[in-house]
Formats: sequence, structure tokens, C-alpha cells
Amino acid sequence: MMTTAEKTNSQSRGDWPTLLADNARTGGQGQHQPRSPEKAAWQFRSGSAVRSAPILADGLLYVATVSGLVHAIDAATGISRWKFEAAGQVHSTPSLSGGMVLFGCDDGKVYALDRHSGKKLWETATRDEVWSSAVVRDGVVFFGSADGTVYAVEAGSGHQKWSRDLGGRIYSTPHAAEHQLFVGCGDGKIYSLARESGKILWETPTGNGIDSSPAVADGLVLIGSEDFLVYALNEDNGEVRWKYETGLGIASSPAVSGNLVVIGSKDGHLYAFDTQTGQLRWKTGLEEVVTAPPVIAEGAVCIQAGGLVALDPGNGKTLWRAALGAAIQSVPVLTGDVIYLASLNGEIYALR
Amino acid sequence: MDRRSFVKAGCLGSASLLIQGLDPMVRAESLPAVPPIELHSLPGYTPSSLAMPGLFPGRVVEVRDPKAIVRNRVSQPIVRRLLDQAMAELTGEKSARDAWAKFVVPKDVVGIKINPSGAPACCSSPELIREIISSVRSIGVPSRNIVVYDRYSYEMDIGAYQSLLPTEVRIVGIQDAFTSGIAGYEPTVYCDANFFGEWETRSYMARIVSHEVTTIINVPTMKDHSASGITGALKNLAYGTFNNVARTHQAPHTFTNPLIGLMCTIEPLRSKAVLHIMDGMRQVWHGGPLTQVQDFIEQPGILMAATDPVAMDTVELEAIEKKRREHGAPSLWEHDAKSITPDNNLFFHDATKNLFFRQPGHVEAAGKLGLGISDMKQIDYRLL
Repeated sequence: MMTTAEKTNSQSRGDWPTLLADNARTGGQGQHQPRSPEKAAWQFRSGSAVRSAPILADGLLYVATVSGLVHAIDAATGISRWKFEAAGQVHSTPSLSGGMVLFGCDDGKVYALDRHSGKKLWETATRDEVWSSAVVRDGVVFFGSADGTVYAVEAGSGHQKWSRDLGGRIYSTPHAAEHQLFVGCGDGKIYSLARESGKILWETPTGNGIDSSPAVADGLVLIGSEDFLVYALNEDNGEVRWKYETGLGIASSPAVSGNLVVIGSKDGHLYAFDTQTGQLRWKTGLEEVVTAPPVIAEGAVCIQAGGLVALDPGNGKTLWRAALGAAIQSVPVLTGDVIYLASLNGEIYALR
Repeated sequence: MDRRSFVKAGCLGSASLLIQGLDPMVRAESLPAVPPIELHSLPGYTPSSLAMPGLFPGRVVEVRDPKAIVRNRVSQPIVRRLLDQAMAELTGEKSARDAWAKFVVPKDVVGIKINPSGAPACCSSPELIREIISSVRSIGVPSRNIVVYDRYSYEMDIGAYQSLLPTEVRIVGIQDAFTSGIAGYEPTVYCDANFFGEWETRSYMARIVSHEVTTIINVPTMKDHSASGITGALKNLAYGTFNNVARTHQAPHTFTNPLIGLMCTIEPLRSKAVLHIMDGMRQVWHGGPLTQVQDFIEQPGILMAATDPVAMDTVELEAIEKKRREHGAPSLWEHDAKSITPDNNLFFHDATKNLFFRQPGHVEAAGKLGLGISDMKQIDYRLL
């Protein structure tokens, strides 16, 4: 089954169906250069804090709020098309798969909604809250739960295919590669699981728990840890190829573009490395705690930290700032003419 | 403000109480008159014998190891040792388990009140919280009956407590900073006062405190505070348990004195907060409680234990004052209009500036309310 989130090439231009645009965590690279926004085309007041990132497809923007509402908003007008109320808070960034919107909830469930009507198609339960985003590949939905388990369920029905207990809470969103699943865990380890069975293929310890979600590029698994370090691991065996120490813990997730990997640290800096060698390309202070992932578009790295900041990917210099969009884990959706932004205080903006 | 300011309070119990008339010294320094403050404890609640100041009034144990934190990394094994030493010295018990058994029984639902404000630069260390959880478990309390909580869930997110603490232990943020209403708070337990003409004059107690947990382990951090002078055991309990407290500040004035102490007298908070373990791995001497500026954050590797929050905060206050003196910063007691700034950024980077006339007298005021001992000469301070 071809799904929206897993087949980047099939996306409509401007679609942004999952966390960091696609399963490769490209963050919209190659799509458009976001210029400095001049005005808000519209503003949507959700009435509740938003911790997760919006996603976009076929002219609809999907936003989940901490109060448990998932909104489908007309991307052109900012008018609500439908909303769904879950039984608990929602911290998970939704994902699109075919005709479904998938998201995790603090009631321990992952919900699948019809993305056009908002009607519930199925739900599947875990034993604790689900903050990680669902990742879909070849008709299977993968996600982690705070119960310490990674789950694989059928995208069509929500029926469980397998589950694998790990050693700690899981808030990291898995990366689904062709044969492997990579995920960080609260026990401080990065795991590689067999995608078909959930068998642990390798595990690599770090010095503290992991919130960060992995990216994979050129045979390397890239991820941050609360032990202050950025890691690049060999995807085949988990061997540490390089690591870099920042000033505080890392909850941000890496964005990768070509030979550039960018990640934020709670020490208030955004770091850019050569993907293969780990050599620091640049480091830019944002004067805010950075916990959200950056995105890399053509000509700009964008990050929500205090507000929305765009940096030159070549040298890390600030291109522009917008005083909107304070976020913990939210990521802007970049579509060229419009930047869609969800803010911690619950405001959703379309900026032109 | 001098250190003799106090609240004229009579007996304090679980019934409602009307407090009027503060020490004239408070008003003499241009603080607006303290309005009547009504306190409403949980109806019918029977106070506990462990209620603050608890089993060991006036006793404060301090242990320290500079290797407990190195370049912002806290050593969990060293924290374990410090915690065991402090608990044994506090209680006089030989084993850590016996020490914890004085405060916790297996049927308890244990709340661990952390201080995540200021995360990630200075907040309750997850390494210490893990060891407290381990100690509580050692008494036979199941993980599902342990709740790590604070008021603001987004601050807990930044501190990454959700991912860093063991599975099954509940991690609860009582509210989000951007929602209004009293969901998560108990409507019958509150304090009511109109400080600056605000529309909502009540601050309600969190239900997790009033109804869910049976015992609270309080884990404050060691920081100065732009309004209350310091934030320690008392402030962490009071302003971390009741909602709608920002209304008590209107620059340059703040009513943290007397409100912090008064809130701590409200039952069942007073009875349930049986033990205070101060996380002094980091020590903020300016810019608290939210600063991220490392210039004002030292890493002495301190841990303190007490049942008396007033005595603990008195020791903390002395330590922060000493640190400010060493750095040539003005005293927390200084009230100089020239030092007041409305510019947060300036405050965060200039130790001579502040946002409010600080009220460190809230500690002594809490002592006058019977919550503990604030006279250093009477405090049984044990530095190991």
C-alpha cells in the first residue's frame, strides 16, 4: 500500500504529511526557500497549548492540541473543517497514511481517523501515554509508548503485528528503514529492531535517557541524548562513528540535508555537523532553550525556539526572525509562499 | 525590609482563617498594605503528627561532594551516597531503609514535588529523583503509587522527566501554562485575597495534593528568586501547589511574604509534606528562578534533608546571601528603587538589577506561623 508519509516522491508539491515532512526526516529540503514572512494570512486560535507539529496535505492542515482536540483546518482560509476530541491530551505529531490521520494520545491509544471527515476508523491501546508519532511503512504503523514498548500494527485495521518491550519510556519517534526500525529510549539506549518481527538487532547505550528521534543518512543513525551528546552510529551494528558534546541535554531531533546534519541543544545553541565526520560546521546561539527539531529547506534552516528563526545553512548566521511560534517540539511547515506555524500558546498561523 | 517582619497570626488549623495586619515594617517600605487573606483547608481533614515542621523541627542536614556534579552532569552513584548519608543523619537510623520508613509506609501514595522551573539549567535533578523513587520503592510502595508532579507540564517536558524516570511511576503536570479554569484543582481548598484588584481572587489547591497523594516528598532547588528572595522548600510547596499565584506580584511589589507561609499552613498540604530534600547540585545566586545564564549558576554538589522547611530555607537563604556577597551582588534584603528594572533581559544579565523588591522575610514569617524555626542560632545545622 502506498502511503503518503512513506513515499516522498508521490507527495503533492507542498505536502508535509508527517514529522519533519517525510520519513527520511528531510524537513522539506529541496522544496522551497522560506523567505521572511511579512504578514499572517490567517490565525487560528485552538484554545489549548500545542506541543506537536502541524502536518499538511491536499490543502488541509492537521493540528493536535494538548487538550485532546485534532483540528483539520483549511490551509487557504484558516477555517476549521472538522475536529475530533480524543479521550486524553495529545502531544504526538499526527501522521498521514492514505486516507487516515494517525496520532497517539495520553489515554494510551493510537487513533486512526478518516482524514476527510474526522471520523474514527480504529484505535489501538497501549498501557501508557503515546507521545511518539506514528510512522507508516509498507502498510504497517510503528510507534513507541511510555509503557516502554514499541508496537507494530496494521495500518488498515490497527491489529497488532508485534510488540517489543524495551528498558524505558519511549517518546522518540521511530525511524523506519527498509529492514530496520531505529528508536531512542528512556533507558538511554538506541535500539535497532527488525522491522518484520521487532527482534532487537543491536542496542547502543548513551549516558542518559533519549527523547530525540533518529534520522538516518548515508548508513548513519543520527540522534541526540539527554547525556548532552549527539551520536552518529553505524546503522548495521550500532557502533559509534562519531559523537559531539554540547552544553546540556538534547531533546531536539536531527534534520539532515546532504552532508549536513543540524540539531538543537538545551544549552541554547543550534549545531550543524558534517554528517560523515562529525566535524562542527557551525554553532549558533539562539538565547532560548532549544528542544524542537530544526527543518532544513533550500537556503535556510528553520527552528522554533522562542519564536521562528531562519539561519543560513552555510554559516549559521541569522537570516530573519519572527516573534511568533514559541514551541517545545513544534516544527514549521514550509511550503514556499506560506509558512504554517503552531505555537505553544495554541495559536496556529499561516504566514506569508 | 528587615528580617523581623512577621505575620500576626494566631492558631492555624484546618478551618478557615482570616489574617489581617502585618508587621508595620512591611508597609514602611512602600509595599502596599496586605489585604485580608482567607485560608480554607480541606473540610474535615485531620492533621497528621508528621505535619510541618515534622519529626525533627529545626534540624537540617547538609552533605556535599564537589564530584557529585561535574560540568552540569550529576553523578547518580554519588547522589545515592549523599542521600543515604543525609537521611541516616536526619533520622538517627543506621540504614537508609529504616530512615525512609519513618516517613513512608507501603500503602502510601507518594507524591514527589519537584521544581522544574528553570529547566534545564537549574531544576530538580532527574538523578536525585530516581534515587528518591528507588528509596520509596524500598519501603514497598509500588511504582504505580508514586507520582512525580509539578504545576506546569511544559516545564516538566523541558526537564525531560517523562523520559528520564522509571516506567510506571506517574509523571503529572497539573496544568498547562496556557489554559485557564480550575481543572486539576480542588474548589473547596483555597486562599482568597485581593492583592492588586485582580478579577479572580482565589488560588486553589491542586487535587493531586488534596485528594490523590497521602505523603509528599518535597524536592526544591537552591535558587534566588526575583520576588521572594529565595525559592526553597516553602516556595516550592506553596506556589507549586496552588494556582493563580502570579497575581501576587505586580512589579516592583510582591506579596510572597506572607502568602508563601500561609499557603503552607493549609491542610492537607501541611500534613502531607513530611520530608524536604533540597537539590543543591546547582546553586543559582542571581536570576532565579528561571535563569539559563550559567554565569550565575554554581555547581557545589550540595544535598540537604529536613522535615522543617523553615529551617532548611533559612540555611539556604544564608548560603545564597553569602554567595552574592562573594560576587559583590547586592543583598537579597536590599530594597533600592534604583536596582529595579522592568527589563527581563537586563535582570538576567546584571546581578545588581531585580524585577521586584525581594521578600526573603517570607521564611521568617513562615516560622512565626509555626511551620519551623528561622533563627540560625536555634537551628540544628549538621554539615557532614
